[in-house]
Amino acid sequence: MGFDYSSLFAFILFGLTIGVVYGIVALGISLIYSGLDIVHFAHGEIYMFGAFFGLVFSNQWGLPYPVAFVLAMLCAAVLGMIIERVFYRRLTKGGGGYTVAGMGMIICGFGMSIVLMNIAFLIWGAGAEPFHVDLGMPFQIGDITLPKSYALTAVFAVTLMTVLHYFLKRTKIGLAIRAVAANKDIAYLMGINVPLMISLIFGLACGLAAGAGVLIGPMQSVQVEMGYLMLMKAFAAAVVGGFGSLPGAIAGGILVGITENLGAAYISPNHKDIYAFLLLILVLMFKPSGLFGVVARVKA
Amino acid sequence: MSKLNKTGTVLGLAAVMGVTLSTFALAADIRIGITMRMISENGQKYGQMVMDEFDMINKAGGINGNMIKATLMNDECKSDKGVANAVKLVAQEKVHLLIGSSCSSVTLPIVDVTSKAGVPQLVPHSTNDKITKKGSAWVFRVPVSGRYYAGVNAKYVGENIGKKIAYLCAADAASQNDCEAMQAQMKAQHGVEPAYTAQVQEKEVDFRTHMQKIKNANVDGIMIAALAETMARALIQSYEAGIPASVRRIGSSSASNSPVPKIAGDAAKGVFFAAAYAAADTRPIARMFNEIVKSRYGINSPDHDFSQAYDLVRIAEIALGNADLKLDSASLAADRTAIRDAIAGVKGYQGLASGPISFCAEATPQCRDGNRTAVLIAYSKGGENYKTEVLARVTMPIDFGL
Repeated sequence: MGFDYSSLFAFILFGLTIGVVYGIVALGISLIYSGLDIVHFAHGEIYMFGAFFGLVFSNQWGLPYPVAFVLAMLCAAVLGMIIERVFYRRLTKGGGGYTVAGMGMIICGFGMSIVLMNIAFLIWGAGAEPFHVDLGMPFQIGDITLPKSYALTAVFAVTLMTVLHYFLKRTKIGLAIRAVAANKDIAYLMGINVPLMISLIFGLACGLAAGAGVLIGPMQSVQVEMGYLMLMKAFAAAVVGGFGSLPGAIAGGILVGITENLGAAYISPNHKDIYAFLLLILVLMFKPSGLFGVVARVKA
Repeated sequence: MSKLNKTGTVLGLAAVMGVTLSTFALAADIRIGITMRMISENGQKYGQMVMDEFDMINKAGGINGNMIKATLMNDECKSDKGVANAVKLVAQEKVHLLIGSSCSSVTLPIVDVTSKAGVPQLVPHSTNDKITKKGSAWVFRVPVSGRYYAGVNAKYVGENIGKKIAYLCAADAASQNDCEAMQAQMKAQHGVEPAYTAQVQEKEVDFRTHMQKIKNANVDGIMIAALAETMARALIQSYEAGIPASVRRIGSSSASNSPVPKIAGDAAKGVFFAAAYAAADTRPIARMFNEIVKSRYGINSPDHDFSQAYDLVRIAEIALGNADLKLDSASLAADRTAIRDAIAGVKGYQGLASGPISFCAEATPQCRDGNRTAVLIAYSKGGENYKTEVLARVTMPIDFGL
């Protein structure tokens, strides 16, 4: 019996569709890291909030899925900016990275994660909520059945990344954000409103996480506890791609998604989550700066 | 004269105090501790049902004039929290009876706590075989044991569906037990090994790789053994992977929980499972119960976790009524023993369960797995207004699966 290439293609396709979602969340984490020198541990909960926002807009308010997608991103962006302004600003003023304030920021992130999870629990309860999006019959590619929600995820993700790339590379605000990410002090001297840019970076990153949440909702339903595992996978993706590298985050996400699906298919299906972290360990052993080679540095 | 008056006053006071004390003694509380999984809407309602039923008993005058003081705690289906709750209830609250837990993985370690402390324990929902195989003299199981469910499922599957079965087993104790027992029964009854088997995380969200492999294996049926939300996701993704409806989906005992049809929607249609109670039951007691649950908790088709909570309270009521309780500070150990012996004396209880529930004194699964009748149920409609139909009712031999 020959090798089943059709199944291999299916496993890679599944890996790609989940991988781009990991990548989008990792993109937000990398964006915050490159802009603020902090690792945001409450990002999984923003992703969860985004999924619930999408669910409310789409299933309860009856808005079309794309509209719910955009609105959920906007709401999460506003939520992220409020959180940054009210809670994180004092700590980030003291610096990020390996400073005492940076450590405080990590702890604050953990605290925020628990607070957000409990707020969501009070609002939506602990049970899983189905996120029904009727997209019609799935695509049939040979022996492979591909639901439209998976294809939609890939399309939305690519669109999102293209828009983000254009925004960061071709607009003045994008240039300002990149300047703040490169060096906040020089950005100040250049007349850039750094606090505003930091708020924007946070909002943008949270909006991306929410987008990922709305994309994953129809595939996996929506639940208060959904953020933790996604955060772990997104961290793995960000590190594999190179922490702080935006294209690296996407590439890392896709690589993590494909690795875990192929591992589950051809090595052992029993512990699928291990493969992502095995990949992470391998990358850290042989290329600690990640595949896209961002040199780790400590900013003043 | 004044001396006589003083004596009279003292005697009068003594009489009043005596009456008061005896009233207190008569109205002593029977302390019951409950630890359950209450992290979902339904989980909270199961706990609430137990509390409401005890409240109704109190309003009707209590048990032999004694009021029930019930303490309800949430263990979130986590072993450490369940054990902490049990220790608190047993050692600090000094409960006479412990009820818990909903999850097998929590109930298993609690059995050690109640066994060591000598506290009778009534299990409301947990199905894992090992709970009663531990040999504790203090544990009694109201639900049907997993060994009976597996026997019923395997018989039906082998005779009506086929023998090429794929298994997806979540990592929680009940699902693992359901999977292992079903595989063992398929081998014992039909001589077949699993066509595909995989263990998934308790809260796994992505089953697509498994489903693609199962699709390629051309199986007759897929058994999904997982907690409700996980099972619902797996069901949806099985259809998304293109596995046709002709491949029957077999649920573990938690398929009875309402989140499965509610979340899975159309993907729940045709899923069948063994449970202790069917909402489609036409007996008057079942119709009355369905009405109670609907009016109190807004649930149209109560699952077997509701019925088991209700049956458990009735069994506790019977046992507490039959037990000779002193209920003073010195009699705690004796009262606990009396309650245990009274539960062991419950024979042929006919409630919502599809067959009679009986216990006996020996600390064996034969004596402590009181409910041996499983009902095979299928979802005929998914979604919010899901519907079920009864496929079969089977009472298993007492030694089955041992």
